[in-house]
Amino acid sequence: MELRHILFRSRLLLVGLSILGVLILIALLQPVLNRLLIGDINPVSMGTYKAYEEVSPQHPLGTDRWGRDWLALLILGLRYSLIIGALAGVAATFIAVILGFVAGYKGGRTDAAMRTFTDMVLVIPSWPILVTMASYIKGLSIPLMALLLALFSWAFGMRTIRSQVLSLRAQPYVDLAKVSNLKDREIIFQELIPNLLPYIGVAFAATTVGAILAETGLELIGLGPGGNIITLGLMVNFALRWGALALGKVELVFAPVLMLILIFVSMNLINIGLEEVFNPRLKRVTGG
Amino acid sequence: MANEEPLLRIRDVRVHYTSVRGVYKVVDGVGFDVMRDEVLGIAGESGCGKSTLVEGLLRLIVPPGKIASGEAVSSDLTAGITNNCDLLSLSDEEYRQLRWKSISYIPQGSMHSLNPVMKIEDQIIDAMLTHETMPKQAAKTRVAELLGIVGLSPAVAGLYPHELSGGMKQRAIIAAAIALKPKLVIADEPTTALDVTIQKLVLQTLMRVKREIGCTIMVVSHDMPVHAQIADRLVIMYAGRVMEVGPVVGIFDDPLHPYSQGLIATIPSIAQERRRLAGIPGASPSPLAWPAGCRFHPRCKQAMAICQDVEPAVVEVRPGRYVACHLFGVLRGMS
Amino acid sequence: MTTPPLLEITNLSKVFVTGRGIAGRSEIRAVDDISFTLPGDKATLLTMVGESGSGKTTITRNILGLVTPTSGAIRYKGKDIFTMTRPEWEQYRKEVQVVFQDPYGTYNPFYKIDRVLQVPIRKFRLATTKTEEQRIIEEALRAVELRPADIIGRYPHQLSGGERQRIMLARIYLMRPQLILADEPVSMIDVSLRAAFLNILLRFEQEYGMSCIFITHDLAVGYYLGGRILILCQGRIVEMGDMDAVVREPKHPYSQLLIASVPPPNPKDRWAETEIRAGELRRSADLYRGCIYRDRCPQAMPKCGDAPPQMVKMTENHEVACYLY
Repeated sequence: MELRHILFRSRLLLVGLSILGVLILIALLQPVLNRLLIGDINPVSMGTYKAYEEVSPQHPLGTDRWGRDWLALLILGLRYSLIIGALAGVAATFIAVILGFVAGYKGGRTDAAMRTFTDMVLVIPSWPILVTMASYIKGLSIPLMALLLALFSWAFGMRTIRSQVLSLRAQPYVDLAKVSNLKDREIIFQELIPNLLPYIGVAFAATTVGAILAETGLELIGLGPGGNIITLGLMVNFALRWGALALGKVELVFAPVLMLILIFVSMNLINIGLEEVFNPRLKRVTGG
Repeated sequence: MANEEPLLRIRDVRVHYTSVRGVYKVVDGVGFDVMRDEVLGIAGESGCGKSTLVEGLLRLIVPPGKIASGEAVSSDLTAGITNNCDLLSLSDEEYRQLRWKSISYIPQGSMHSLNPVMKIEDQIIDAMLTHETMPKQAAKTRVAELLGIVGLSPAVAGLYPHELSGGMKQRAIIAAAIALKPKLVIADEPTTALDVTIQKLVLQTLMRVKREIGCTIMVVSHDMPVHAQIADRLVIMYAGRVMEVGPVVGIFDDPLHPYSQGLIATIPSIAQERRRLAGIPGASPSPLAWPAGCRFHPRCKQAMAICQDVEPAVVEVRPGRYVACHLFGVLRGMS
Repeated sequence: MTTPPLLEITNLSKVFVTGRGIAGRSEIRAVDDISFTLPGDKATLLTMVGESGSGKTTITRNILGLVTPTSGAIRYKGKDIFTMTRPEWEQYRKEVQVVFQDPYGTYNPFYKIDRVLQVPIRKFRLATTKTEEQRIIEEALRAVELRPADIIGRYPHQLSGGERQRIMLARIYLMRPQLILADEPVSMIDVSLRAAFLNILLRFEQEYGMSCIFITHDLAVGYYLGGRILILCQGRIVEMGDMDAVVREPKHPYSQLLIASVPPPNPKDRWAETEIRAGELRRSADLYRGCIYRDRCPQAMPKCGDAPPQMVKMTENHEVACYLY
């Protein structure tokens, strides 16, 4: 299907992509936006401004307990959250695609073994293990954090990819490819993978959202990368610890929460939108 | 032959499906009469709207489809249930009372819809009791009777579907469909995807059923030889409209509409001399955008200038023979 | 000096084993001891007729190398296809091609239909430059009476089923195979579009000497093509020979049933009202021991249950596997 058709078939997909697009743009332009807001100052450094400033044109979201411009921090937080989520999403999807593909294409005993393994991973309570590992590893860097999150979120994607590969493999055009003397490798890359792309996309969106969620959860109990790495989750953590709500500085809590909500909503809209587009229900229409 | 008053008058039925791409006018102005005690064949290729038409008559259309207009009037079929004689405007509740008792439906592939964990007898009784109350014993006797009509031994009643062959399953379905002696039985592609030996069995069973209980049968099929064997009259549809209606002998002997001529010329036969088959060039148009004027004109060898602009009405050119084609001039129309 | 047969199938069998539980293993012989030959000196059109479960598709998949037989041999021009070297196999793939049944599923929806024509050209090195490739593609499309301008650059869903099957024939034309395997190629396209396809197939046989094994459940279509016929019943050949001879005078009770079941497309030639049989409930314990048809055969004799009947030559062009003869 042509890209144009895909994009315009679903309003939800379009809205989701637009919101996400704006968020990614903001994250990418963080250095520029930072300069616009507070000049060359590092948004994380403390004591730049007075603490708990009111919302004003210079500080659209006020300042926090340590005199940092909250909006500048928010943009930085968005950037880091998205980076961690994306890295985890890429890693998890990569694992899911490789494992799911091998299982679906090879079939037989290989498939049975991989399925069992995946099911075991799915059943393991990932949250406690994640918390344990996060609290043990000192100096958690971003890549390490992403990898950790990825290790617990690939399983569901693997199942989706595997069942898709199973059904694609039985398509007549694969037989035609074999009869045209295409090698296995060529069949995988030229015939199967292109038709898997929507499912890979959905798996990526789902795992990224899951990773951001998990990361936020870890931050809320103080187990994130720490240091100068500010994520949206960490911001919520800080705001709650300072009792911002009681102090009447509600924007300190709501701003990062709203950002998180926007990320989740946009990703889910994309997910639902992709399903709408690739759902064959409407094909039945021409009756007969 | 049958008495002259039609059992069902279908007029100007339209069934449309709305989607993001536009409106699919799958059935777009179809009208014909269904006479009593006849086997009426509805022929046409994929996309002509024949299956959707009967789904409309059976009120099985769901959104995004809807019956956009038209009526299907029958006083006989609605007798005893409601005063409203138009099948298309009955309420769902009223129509539900018609099902199985006045009108019965054998959908495509129905032999696969038998419940694998129920005995045949129980499934038929189940269907009967949903639509009519009767004592269990009477129901059982009826089942034995029905199995006899379709040529199955009474022992079949106690069997499960997996113990039956394909032909037997299909006959069991037919038995269930005629359980309450409906006046009209609609069979949608009853022979498609069946082995040819079973096809013959199914067709002969339908004919026998008609003789035994005296009903009207509408057979929807793209397979012309099927109509040749069992239909009395034939309706040929194309692009959501009716192209020709007439007695089956007349249509096969002397097809009037160029589309009918093309269809008949394309049927291979083992019974006659081999002659070169010619198909119809081009392809069926899309329900999103039917051609202007006569819908067949882009593929018609005999198309004239007027065919591109004006859609021909269905016209009775000889007694009992109706055609929608400008080759026959414009007389008083029917739909 | 005699040319080796184009295709020689000897005692081909494909058995599927099912059930490993308490009920024990049971086997399904999809193809059971099939043997037939296509001559190498002239083009032949062989129609394989059978109902569902007859094994016709399995035989095709075996010949195409998509599936390996349980036993028996398939020889192409004298060489067993499962012991061919790589270059021999590549040549085999070029010379033995297929048209599948499903005009929708044979096209990968991700690509334009051009790809279906480009892949064989590239894989079998049929052209050396892009321009030559383009020229060959256009020539192939014209050979099947399609206008290149209407086809090139389109996606599968933009074309009709009839056009898609004809593009498959264009693909065949490109490769000039010696043998075409056509697996129910017209059963999923509209009746008005079938004649064009069948006529092209006939033309390929007559003008380019391409032999064809045409698989169908529709006897009338097979009859139109003429040539030879092979009737399958549950994995075994029951009758084969010249199309006209077999259809005019079918010898095997199953062939007779099959031919009598074909609805004549003539309202004046209707079936007689026969009594419908009460239903086939006989099921032999050991299905494969004797004649495969004995459960349904009105003329079954006791000896039909002893061993499968061998093929008997009725005439030069007509063989039957039945104890009646």
